Amino acid sequence: MEGLGFNIAVLIAQIVGFLILLVILTKFAYKPIIKMFDERAGKIKESVEEVQKVREQAAQAEEEFKKKIEVASKEGQEVISRAMRTGEETRQKALQEAKQEAQGILEKARGEIQRERDDAIGELRQEFADLTVVAAEKVIEKSLDKEAHRKIIDKVLDESSTLKKK
Amino acid sequence: MAEQKSVPQKKKKGCLGCSLPLTIVIIVVVVALTVIGFLSGAIGQKLFGVQFPSWLNVGVPVVELPAEAVFHIGSGEPVMVWGAQVYPIPITNTMITTWITILVLLIISLIVTRKPRLIPSRIQSLMEFALEWIYNLCKDVAGEKNGRRFFPVVCTIFLFVLVNAWMNLIPGYGSLMVYEHGIEFPLLRGANTDFNTPLALSIVSFVFVTYYGLKNGKFGFVKQFFNVGRFGRGFADLVKGKVKPGCSGMFFGAINIFVSFLELISYFIRLLSFTFRLFGNMTGGEILVLMFLYLFSWAISGSIIYGFELLIGAVQALIFAGLTLVFATMASSVHEEEH
Repeated sequence: MEGLGFNIAVLIAQIVGFLILLVILTKFAYKPIIKMFDERAGKIKESVEEVQKVREQAAQAEEEFKKKIEVASKEGQEVISRAMRTGEETRQKALQEAKQEAQGILEKARGEIQRERDDAIGELRQEFADLTVVAAEKVIEKSLDKEAHRKIIDKVLDESSTLKKK
Repeated sequence: MAEQKSVPQKKKKGCLGCSLPLTIVIIVVVVALTVIGFLSGAIGQKLFGVQFPSWLNVGVPVVELPAEAVFHIGSGEPVMVWGAQVYPIPITNTMITTWITILVLLIISLIVTRKPRLIPSRIQSLMEFALEWIYNLCKDVAGEKNGRRFFPVVCTIFLFVLVNAWMNLIPGYGSLMVYEHGIEFPLLRGANTDFNTPLALSIVSFVFVTYYGLKNGKFGFVKQFFNVGRFGRGFADLVKGKVKPGCSGMFFGAINIFVSFLELISYFIRLLSFTFRLFGNMTGGEILVLMFLYLFSWAISGSIIYGFELLIGAVQALIFAGLTLVFATMASSVHEEEH
């Protein structure tokens, strides 16, 4: 032991020196540094979590955005279809109206024609009757009772299908 | 743009980061130093016998294992305890270096922790890198809870051994000589090369391991050294009349007792192995450096030995701290293994 330089006083001094170093380093170096490691780890964890959160939020926002776009596109589709339907309706209505108007015009024209025809027939009858009376007077050289005659003619005319009074 | 172009051109011209003329000068100086060193060293002198001025000659190194006392506290007749001289208390050169090491570590830790910031400065981040590495090692080996507990002692042992070893390598550290009672010795000597320092560290490590063994391992820690349970059960069986299980129980119990006895011896032998591993490596390294400097004076090989010693210092620090950590972990987990 002596040859190696063992000396109990030096040994104790070294142990004491080491323990002093240990105590001071523990108090002034390790504790704050470990605290800082923990803090840093906490911060890193926090920021990672934050990133996760932000990412989730972004995903959610995207989802919502997609949903909104879907809704908007659906709405747009609806608007378009509604507009088309309205257009179709309007067209149908216009067509209907046009048809009705045409029908009215046609009706009116028909009435006019009918009336004109009736007038023409009336006139023709009158003339024909007069003519017949004159012709008969000429044939029999005798004036007929005009009133009685007319009745006969009317009867004849009524019997004929074409000039029947309506 | 012009700068960007000139950078690769510079690189092409230069060599090892220096301009070509500077590189040549450095190489010439290194070669000259190597040749002169070799010629002035012991081997060169023997082979070629070239005369050099006396200041270039290196004396034969004297290896002195006990640390030299620079002065003593107190005076009077020396008192012997266990065959060792205690009084007057010697202040050895290794004690002085120990206190220098402690001061250096304290100053570094003060610089680092004066303003601990989350975004560290350079020296802080360097120190933190080392500490975090040891801290993670502790946590990996001993687990989260014990790792935190073991860290201060393990880390202090690491830093203490490392700084002691590296301080010893600072050029000029061993060159300051002191004369006392007609003996010449260095004022500063690497603390690890004094037998007392590794012994002190071993005792601290031993007490530390035993403390956590008793605290965490509880009964299991003690039981592993006095494993008489099986033997006792075998004996009880024999008394009850169960001869066969009794005999086999006593036989294996005896083996257990023997093994636990070996365990106990090896536990105490750790004190010696810890001490002599560090003491031997550090003292051997010191002697190796001295011998190389004597044989080759300044030579490339001397530098290589220097770098080698840097590595050895770091490895020894890591081994001492790591083994303390492992033994403490083992002692703490004995209790758990028993169940």
